[in-house]
Amino acid sequence: MAHLFLDHVSVHYDGQAQPAVTQTSISVRSGDFVVLVGRSGCGKTTLLNAAAGLVPPTGGTVTVDGKTITAPGADRAVVFQNDALFPWLNVRDNVSFALTLRGVPLRERDAAAVRLLERVKLDGIGGKAIWELSGGMRQRIGLARALAAEPDFLLMDEPLGALDALTRERMQTLLLDIWAANAVGVLMVTHGIDEALLLATRIVVLAPGPGRVVREIEAGFGRRYAGGEPVRSIKADPAFNQARAELEDSILEGEAA
Amino acid sequence: MTLSVEISRDVAVENAAERPGGKRAKPSAKQLARIASALTIAGLLLVWIAAAHFKLVSPVFLPAPSAVLWKFYSVATNGFVDATLWQHLLASLLRVFAALLLALIVAVPAGIAIGVSAIGRGIFDPIIEFIRPIPPLAYLPLVIIWFGIGEPSKILVIAIAMLAPIAISTAAGVKGASLDRINAARALGATRAQVVRHVILPSALPSILTGLRIALGAGWSTLVAAELVAATRGLGFMIQSAAQFLVTDVVIMGIFIIAIVAFILEIGIRRLERMVVPWAGRE
Repeated sequence: MAHLFLDHVSVHYDGQAQPAVTQTSISVRSGDFVVLVGRSGCGKTTLLNAAAGLVPPTGGTVTVDGKTITAPGADRAVVFQNDALFPWLNVRDNVSFALTLRGVPLRERDAAAVRLLERVKLDGIGGKAIWELSGGMRQRIGLARALAAEPDFLLMDEPLGALDALTRERMQTLLLDIWAANAVGVLMVTHGIDEALLLATRIVVLAPGPGRVVREIEAGFGRRYAGGEPVRSIKADPAFNQARAELEDSILEGEAA
Repeated sequence: MTLSVEISRDVAVENAAERPGGKRAKPSAKQLARIASALTIAGLLLVWIAAAHFKLVSPVFLPAPSAVLWKFYSVATNGFVDATLWQHLLASLLRVFAALLLALIVAVPAGIAIGVSAIGRGIFDPIIEFIRPIPPLAYLPLVIIWFGIGEPSKILVIAIAMLAPIAISTAAGVKGASLDRINAARALGATRAQVVRHVILPSALPSILTGLRIALGAGWSTLVAAELVAATRGLGFMIQSAAQFLVTDVVIMGIFIIAIVAFILEIGIRRLERMVVPWAGRE
């Protein structure tokens, strides 16, 4: 059980009047699916980058299993909104990039790439060039590339934000499948309220000016999906609608405060 | 240089014209430009033929096109100043490519240093900016004083002309590397050196190749200066020898050969770009 903990984290960017986030604590354990929601400017991405080690906190600490982290590491793989794939590598080499960095021999890398592509349901496209692929496929390759590092935590910054509605729904279930099959802890930023409810085990509602936590909501719809219930039936449940109304209220409350 | 500018403009026009769905009725901007170019070339050639035919200008100053063509044949087969045209051409090409290799070895790392580190920029920026505007003829004497009149000096003069374009393009490519891609690599466990090798260098490759293309043009146009002193072979040397003996047809032929080779090199590098960096411009 790994534990990623943002302990009273503040981030104040140079030259800005007020901090992007202030005194914010978020805890992610293996098996958690924590989703950050809130309007633009509430510091969601900043918090994710602080967890990744890409942005140093100006106050508080980020720890993994009690050890303070100061740099990015393969235990916390990041999936970006614009996939950030490497166009000079084909799909296979993009997926196995983390293994290339570790000096794993080519044969093993290729075998790993085949397995990972199966996991994101993209078998047999290893030899393709990145620019030949659709946005949904590219995002899945970004996910496979992150999984190749065998991370304890998967940090995702609006990974589905640029996708059309249908692709997005398919990706949501894929994320749940992968989360359920691997003992990873997920920290994800999204603008989609339904998406947050469907995926999260815990939703952290943030408010802007300066960014801070206004509410944490436990949710269990993702676990129901992992237990075998279809998405359609989950979304038809009156409890889902009620939870959505509650979540919308907290986001609006945060804004009014 | 002018050549490369015109070709890139041509490509831009071509792209713009192709987008609205290739209609054939009206001649496109690209076709109009081609017609204008063809007419200009034909017109200049006609003026040249007429000037020679009606003896408007003495053949010492402007020999007839037929005389230049004939000279091309005779120099290609019998040679001029102890070497055939191909030996002159080969000597020049070897110098330019040796210089290119030397310039790449120095300027690509310098460009990367400028792009990735403030200290690197502090060290190399003033040097590059100092060398950049100086014409090769100005530093030629100093290079000869330092390195003598042998082959190394000739290669060095050309290489110096190539340094700035390669270093500046490399630095621009490095600075243009996507921050998301760099962060993605770091989050997958890349060290600083691995980020440079696996992300920044490939990101900069299209830009480096552009620099290489500009450098080759700059180096090729430095050729005559480099072959001013104590050369026994080379296109620049051939032209100068011919000028001393007032063999104007060889001078003109040499100028044409230099232009044609520059054009072929330009096309070759564009091919190379499409092969090596097929992703460029598709992002």
